[in-house]
Amino acid sequence: MYTYQPISSENDASYIAGLCDRIERSLDEGQMPADPFRDDRVFRAEMERIFTRSWVFVAHETEIPNSADFVTRRIGLDPVIVTRTRDGGINVLLNHCRHRGTPVCAEDAGNTTHFRCPYHGWTYKNNGEFVGAPEMQMAYGKRPDPKKWGLIRAPRVEVTHGFIFACLSDDAPSLQEYLAGAGWMFDVLFGLHPDGLRVLAPPERFVIRADWKSGAENFSGDSYHVGTAHYSATLSGFAAGDLRNNGNRAAGFLLDNGHSFVGHRLPEWFGPEFQFWGYPPELRAQMDLSNLDETQKELLTTLPITIGTIFPNFSFVRFPSASAPGRFPMAYTDIRLWQPLEPGVMEMWHWQLEYAFMPEEYQRESYIAGQFGFGAGGMIEQDDTVLWEGVARFAGSPWARRDGIPMHYKQKRVEPDPDWKGPGQHFSTTYGEYMQEGFWRRWIKDMRDHAREANQDG
Amino acid sequence: MDKDFMTHAAADADAFLLASRFLAQEAKVLDERRFDEWFEMLDDEIIYEVPIRIARLKFADETAGDGHFIHDNKSRLKIRIDRLNCGDCWSETPPSRTVRVVGSVLVTSTERPGVLEVDSALLLYRQRGSDSNGDTIAVRRTDVLRLGEKGPTLLRRRALVADTSLRTPNLGVFL
Repeated sequence: MYTYQPISSENDASYIAGLCDRIERSLDEGQMPADPFRDDRVFRAEMERIFTRSWVFVAHETEIPNSADFVTRRIGLDPVIVTRTRDGGINVLLNHCRHRGTPVCAEDAGNTTHFRCPYHGWTYKNNGEFVGAPEMQMAYGKRPDPKKWGLIRAPRVEVTHGFIFACLSDDAPSLQEYLAGAGWMFDVLFGLHPDGLRVLAPPERFVIRADWKSGAENFSGDSYHVGTAHYSATLSGFAAGDLRNNGNRAAGFLLDNGHSFVGHRLPEWFGPEFQFWGYPPELRAQMDLSNLDETQKELLTTLPITIGTIFPNFSFVRFPSASAPGRFPMAYTDIRLWQPLEPGVMEMWHWQLEYAFMPEEYQRESYIAGQFGFGAGGMIEQDDTVLWEGVARFAGSPWARRDGIPMHYKQKRVEPDPDWKGPGQHFSTTYGEYMQEGFWRRWIKDMRDHAREANQDG
Repeated sequence: MDKDFMTHAAADADAFLLASRFLAQEAKVLDERRFDEWFEMLDDEIIYEVPIRIARLKFADETAGDGHFIHDNKSRLKIRIDRLNCGDCWSETPPSRTVRVVGSVLVTSTERPGVLEVDSALLLYRQRGSDSNGDTIAVRRTDVLRLGEKGPTLLRRRALVADTSLRTPNLGVFL
C-alpha cells in the first residue's frame, strides 16, 4: 500500500514541534491527532529523540547464560550484539565493523569469543575490543589503536531482575531512576523468588503493518478493547469466562516517565485460587516475599498485576489461561518489544518466561498456555494485529490529515484512589484512558527535547 | 527384474499416491475453508506444530531452542476452528483467500505398521482483507500419516516456515 505523506511547507523540526503542541492541546480536550501512527517525520524524530535516548530492553540474562553466549537485537533501527564475557559481564555492541561498517555477526544467537568481519577480516573480542586485522604490517604498518577502534559499546547497560536494558545516551538517569515506580512493579512481578525467571525459548517475531505505539499504548491500559476485539476467545471456549464488561474488573496504575500497569481483580472475578495469578499453592509456598512491602503483598492477593508498558516499547502480560480445554487456567509471563521498522510498521518480538524454580513440566505447560494466547498464532493476539493495522491506515488518510480528524480519548473519569500507598496514581478502573494519556504525555516530552541532537549540532 | 524390487516399487508408488492425494485433498479443503471437514482428517492424537526458527549457521541449530508459534493437540485445534467459525474472528474477517501448492512429496515407511512419514513443501499464498498485498508463507512440512479403516489421518505435522520473522501478521491460516 502507498504511504501517504502530506506535503508541507514546514521543515521537519517545526512540524514535530507543532505536532507536539497539537497533541498536548488535543489531550487536554480528550482527543488525539492521528499523525503519530504513521508519518515519516514522526518516525525519524522518534529514532533520534526516543530510541537513542531511552532505556530500551534488549535481552534477558537467561538468554545468554554461559560465557561467550550472544544474541543479536535492535535498539530502534540499530542492530546490536548482546554478549556475555568470561567474567560474566554483559556487553551491548553495535553490530557494525569499525573499518567499513559491515555487520560482524550474522547469527541471531550463538556462542563465540570473537567476531570477525567477513569483509576485510577485522576481528574483535566479544567485549568489543579490537584484536587485529589481516596483513596488519603491510596494510597498516602498525596496529590500529585497539582502544579507539573497538566495536562501539552502548554507553549504558543495566540489569534488573535479569532484564537487560541499554541506553545510548551518556546523560540519561540510571535505569532504576528511569523505571521509577515501574521498578516497584517489577519486584511484584519478577522478584518473587531469588532464582528469578528464565526465558523458555527464543523470541517469536512477526511483522505487523501497524505502528509500534499501537501496541505500547494498548498494553499501557486498554482493557476496554478486550470485550469486543477478543470476544472470539469467549465464543470459541478459549477463555474461561466472559470477557465482556471487564474494564471494571481491571484497575490502572499511572506511573512516572510514561510507564503504566493494569491489575485485574482475578480472585474476585474467577475465585480465590486466582490470588497470585493462579500459581498453585505448592509453588506459592516456595516464593519469597520478604522484599515486598504491604501494598505489594496486597496486590498479589487481591489485584495481581497483569499487563503493562515500560516506555517506550517494552510490555508484558501475565494472565491465567488454560493450556488446553479442561486444564486449570495457569499463569504465563509473556514479554514483548514493539520494534519500530518503518512508519506504521512494526516487528513484534515476544518471549515467554517462567520462574526458574518451578518444575520443568510446569514451565513447559506455561509456555504452551502463553503461546496459545499470544503471538502470531495466539487466540488473543491474532486479532490485535489486524485491528492495529487499521489505526495506521487512518493515520495515512489524506482526508483525516487535512481536516485533523481527531481520535476520541474521552472516557468517563474518576479521581485516583486517595488511599493508594504505592508509586504513581492508582485508578479503580481502566475506563478513563489515563494510562494511554500518560504514554502520550511522555512521548511528547521526549519528542520536544531536541537540544542534544549531535548530527544537527555538527 | 527382481520380483521383490517390483513389489516394493509398487508399494512405494501406492504409498506415494495415497499421501499425495491426502495432501492435495487437505489443501483443497483448507482453501475452501471447510475447517470442520479438515478436523475430520486429523488423528485423535495429532500434534500440529509450527516451530520458531532463528538464523544460525547450522541447520540443526535453527530450531534448537524448542520454541513454537503453535503447538496444538486436537483439543486446541478444535478451539482454533471454533474461533474461525465464531463470527468475531477479526484476524480472518473477511477470511483470507488462499491457495496452497503442495509439492516435493517424499514418503518413507516407518517401523509402525500403517504409519507413513511424509515430507512436503507448501507454498501458501494468502490475501487478507480486500485490498492488501498478499503474503506468501513458505513451509517445509514433516507429517506422519496413520492409515486407518476410514483412510489416512494426520497424526503429526511439523510445519517449518522459512522465515525467522513472519511476514504475515498472524497465523490465522493452517499450514
